[in-house]
Amino acid sequence: MRVLRAFESAGLEYVLIGAAAMAFHGLVRATADLDLFIRATPENIERLRTALREAFQGDPEINAISSEDLLGEYPAVRYAPPTGNLYLDVLTRLGEAATFETVEAEIKDIDGTSVRVATPAALYRLKKGTVRLQDQADAAALRERFNLKDEK
Amino acid sequence: MKNEMRVQKFRSIEEMNKAPEPASQEPPFERFVRLCAQYWAIAPKPYPRGVFKFRSIEEAQKARLKNSSY
Repeated sequence: MRVLRAFESAGLEYVLIGAAAMAFHGLVRATADLDLFIRATPENIERLRTALREAFQGDPEINAISSEDLLGEYPAVRYAPPTGNLYLDVLTRLGEAATFETVEAEIKDIDGTSVRVATPAALYRLKKGTVRLQDQADAAALRERFNLKDEK
Repeated sequence: MKNEMRVQKFRSIEEMNKAPEPASQEPPFERFVRLCAQYWAIAPKPYPRGVFKFRSIEEAQKARLKNSSY
């Protein structure tokens, strides 16, 4: 929650994907990571750093998150804070197609904090084609719960 | 949190799997946070601290598998 509040406070443009997003849609399972797409602009990456500094007491490691990487050769950055078990997987793009702009999202409210969450259909599209067994299980659960069909 | 605990009986595992899960009074995201906390307490997986960069999601997932059982 502290991280989500910090995202809102910094004005970060993001969309939550992964297990945390599934939880907002009622499909609850444990996880160790918080997955999100962020809008790929230098300003937004600065907002990400601001939010993480706020949430994790100014951890100096956060300075290693750079626009050059996220907008260039490294579209996936993992940040494991100095304490706790949660780590964050931040993506600017996934493969050729998926980005912040292409992932359909909706706003959810949790304790007064607005959270931008991928829709069940968007989560299904992200997960169904992957090789990871957990993603396949998630895709199956989403398809069944929301009666989703494969697009042609 | 107060869950409604009822006994349900099934003739097979397939029948059990088809049954809806017992309804929880707890909002799903709060339940998620609580489950994660329990999971981390039962099976802590110390992850190397800091920032790690990956060229693709596949590369990121390989790194995750090194540090995780799922």
